[in-house]
This record gives sequence, structure tokens and C-alpha cells, in this order.
Amino acid sequence: MAQMKFLCDAERCIECNACVTACKNENEVPWGVNRRRVVTINDGSPGERSLSVACMHCSDAPCAAVCPVDCFYTTDDGVVLHDKDICIGCGYCFYACPFGAPQFPTTGAFGSRGKMDKCTFCAGGPEEDNSAEERRKYGANRLAEGKLPLCAEMCATRALLAGDGDTVSDIFRERVTWRGSSGLAWGWGVAYSKPGLRNSRDVEGKAAGKD
Amino acid sequence: MNQTKPWQTPCAVVLSRMLTALFALVLVMPLFAPQARADGGVTAGKVANPGAELWREVRQREAPLAGATQVTGMDSGVLINTLGEQWRRFRMEQLVPVAGALIGGVLGLIILFHLFKRGVRLEHGRSGNYIERFKEIDRILHWYVATVFIFLALTGLILLTGRVVLIPVFGHEVFSAIASASKEGHNLFGPLFLLGVVGLFIRFVSKNFPGKGDLGWLLKAGGFLGGKHPSAGFFNAGEKIWFWLVIVVGLTISVTGLILEFPFFGQDRPLMALSLVLHGVGAVLLVAGLFGHIYVGSAGMEASLESMTTGYVDVNWARQHHDQWAEVCEAEGAVIAGEDLKKKQQLRGTKNRVPNRPATEEGQ
Repeated sequence: MAQMKFLCDAERCIECNACVTACKNENEVPWGVNRRRVVTINDGSPGERSLSVACMHCSDAPCAAVCPVDCFYTTDDGVVLHDKDICIGCGYCFYACPFGAPQFPTTGAFGSRGKMDKCTFCAGGPEEDNSAEERRKYGANRLAEGKLPLCAEMCATRALLAGDGDTVSDIFRERVTWRGSSGLAWGWGVAYSKPGLRNSRDVEGKAAGKD
Repeated sequence: MNQTKPWQTPCAVVLSRMLTALFALVLVMPLFAPQARADGGVTAGKVANPGAELWREVRQREAPLAGATQVTGMDSGVLINTLGEQWRRFRMEQLVPVAGALIGGVLGLIILFHLFKRGVRLEHGRSGNYIERFKEIDRILHWYVATVFIFLALTGLILLTGRVVLIPVFGHEVFSAIASASKEGHNLFGPLFLLGVVGLFIRFVSKNFPGKGDLGWLLKAGGFLGGKHPSAGFFNAGEKIWFWLVIVVGLTISVTGLILEFPFFGQDRPLMALSLVLHGVGAVLLVAGLFGHIYVGSAGMEASLESMTTGYVDVNWARQHHDQWAEVCEAEGAVIAGEDLKKKQQLRGTKNRVPNRPATEEGQ
């Protein structure tokens, strides 16, 4: 089976936030919740780069590891999902996640958290595929319809890639070869400084096809 | 999901190992151990994320990891939160197993000790005369804190260890309901514990400064070593240590608990993770200590419990366990004969406050 992954090409992302908007619209997420966000480093300075970030659907997901009620599961496609009927809104997944993916609507009294909401790779939840219940709780299930996540489909510059990890890797490698730079998606070390850094870390391998 | 589950290792852990582990846990505080971030676990698994190199680069950059973003959420500008992985490891590989081993170990030791030693008896039986030890307000305060703490400990332990202990028993759906109720109850009654700790401090701090005989009491480990019962004042050194543990650790878990309970004052993830670590370590220490406190105050020491139920203790008990205090009371004439005490309590409308037992030395 496929192992679904996201990859954002920092050389291409133009911080248009279309992925964020597409996600919000497609999944009808609650107020205050953004399953996807674009982060810009060195905003307004030379070397500015933007990255679109959401749940990375980790193989060894920290959110699933710390969840006190064990509400996470990984689908056959490698998508990390959770069961909102089990979730108690404790927030531990948010503290464990490296990417800040889990989001919480503040619905309860005294600012207490509601049930966690995060990117589903447009794969819905544990309910029956494309049922009204699934749509209400988790948003779209495009994967069940044979489509990829809307954020990536919507991306005007094709910076955000989504799909099987191997395929995404191939597409990205091809791009990198065309660009004639190193295997780093982060164009940083290429365009602006420190060629020695790349060499010392021996990261030329992928660009040279030695991987 | 094929993560290893460290709690599934055999539970037969010797005490020394547990104490060493706890010691290391408290002192080293692995949250700050830089080696824990060696491989973030983000790329583990069969298929490496094609963006792994990108993320590694982001994480290894010298500049701060925060950037600008249109999304206004907590830590939205932070690309990688490396502390999360360290907190995960601490919680799942250290806190949960050590909590289980420590609490289970202390409980087991107490049961073993009671089976073989049967606790401390009154050496000279009952005198039938009494000294007032705790006023009503102190007793109310004590049982208030006890009730709140036991409730918080139970709900907290459900949240901490329920995934390991209770999900296999009840299943995910039922445990989710239990955990949800525990979380709400824990949050609701948590702040009441802080009031109790402040109350305990106000009422008992004056009697808990280190004093004459404390060092000797500690050297003899309260009578375990050297046979003879060491001299002690109103509170012995053991009780004083318990008091300061309750105050210091109690305040720590109260403050960290409030930080965790109201997440809308701009607390970021590092602060929340640190609070969870301190809250968990402190709570586990207090629960383990509580078992000892309950044992020594009930089955482990004859006639101890009366001081917190009726407020009065037998003079022989006072002489045996708190000789300095008993001496002062007797010199001040604070000793009340059993009959007088009964009359006094009947006048106040309270019945059977003093155990209706004849003095054992006189026989029946």
C-alpha cells in the first residue's frame, strides 16, 4: 500500500495561503482551527522562504504515543487519524507534535478545549466513508473518492506535493536535478551560503542519485 | 502502530532500582538532556518522509525556528517543536513506568512490613487519660485536604496510567468516558487543593520548624534503628519532612496545575511540557508518600488515628511517641481524665467521640 506524505518545496511556495483556505473550505473546520498554515522564515529579508505545514502523518507519531485514551490509528495508506468519540481534549498531542498540527476549538467553560481537530490528509475519520457523520466530524474524505488532499491539488505553484511517499520523492528529485542544486528542499545552503556545510554533511548523495 | 511499550516489561523491580530511577528522574530531569533529541523519530518507519531532509535542515538551523504566519494560534510561527519529542519520551518511557513501579512498590513494601512487623503497639497500654492534640478546625482542614487529594490522585492516575491499566479491561469507549469524567473532575476540584495546602501551611507551619531532637530522630530513623524510641516534640522529624513535602510539592503541583488548566494566558508548549513534567513527578512523589502517611497514621501505629478523628490522644501514646510534647502538656496540667472528657463532649452534644475503652493497665 501507499504511504501518504506531504512535501512542501520551499523554492516554490509563494505564501499565497491558498492551501490554508482550500483546507478550511473543503473540511469546514471550526472557528479558530486551522489544520494547515504557512510559515515564512526571514519574512521580508533576503533568503525569505515559506513552508506550508500541517500534520505530517508520521510513521512513529508522537501524538499517538502520548494520547492518554489511545484514540489515534494509522490507516493502510499511512494516514494518521483519530477518533473524536474517544478524544477527551486533553491537549497532550499538541505538546508532543513537532509540527504543531493538533488544533483545539475552545468550546468548553473556562477556555477548556474541545475535541482535537487536525489534518486528515482529506481521508475523513473512523465513520463510514463519506457519511454525513464523517463529514460533520472530520470534513472531506477525498481519498475514498480517489482524490488527493485539496490543499496540494489547489497549490498554484505545485509547491505542496501530496501522495505516496515514493512518488512524491521522485517528483521532487526530478525537480532538484533540473535545478542543478543539492538534494535539499531548503534552497538556503544553495543560493546564499555555506557550500561547505552541504559537503560536510554528505547530503549531495540524493542529487547525484547515489541514495 | 508498532511502538514499543516499556510498561510491558516485567514488573518485578527491586526497590533499590526504583529509588535509583526516581532519583535520576528528579535530579537529571531528562527534559533538559540534549542527547534525547538525537533522532527525533519523525522519519522512523518503512518509508522515509521525502521532506525529512528539509525538516532536518529547518531543525538544525542556527536562527530561531519561529517565522511569520497568517494563522493566529499558539506557537503557529514555530516550525519544529523539538521539546515535544523529549516530553513524549519522558512521559512514556520514564514517568508512566516509574510511577507504576514506585506506587506499587511502596504499597507492596507497606503490606509486607505490616505482615511481618504488625506496626507499633502502645508499650504500656492505654492510660485512660487524654491530651488534646488537634483542634476541630485542624481536623476539618486535614480531612478536607485528604478528600480532595485522594480524589485528585485517583483521577490523575487514571489519566496517567489508564491507557496501560484500564483500556485492556474496559475497552476504548468506556475508558474514554471514564477519562473524560476524570479530566473534568480533576480540573474542577484541582484549585480546591491549593486552598487546602495554604490552610495547612497557616495552621501547622509554627510546629514544623526543625527543633531539638529532630537530628537524633532521623539518625535512628524514627526508632527503626537502635531499638529505643527517639525523643520528639509535637511533631517528630518524619512528620516535619512530610509537612514540608506537602507544602513544597503541593504548591508546585497546584501552580503547574493552574498553568495547565487555563491555557489561554499565552502559555507556549515548552512551558506546558515543563509544567506537565513537574506536575507528574510531584504528584507521584506525594501519592507514594501518602501511602506511608496513611499507614503510620492508622494500622501502623496503635491509637494514632484518634488524634485526627476525636482530636484527643491517650497520654501513654503521647509519652511514647512525642515525649517532649507530653512532658509540657503534663506540666501545664492539660491532661484530661477520660470521664471528664466524656462529660465535656456530652455537654457539647457530641457522642462517642472518645473511644469507649477502659484503661488497659487497670483491667476490667
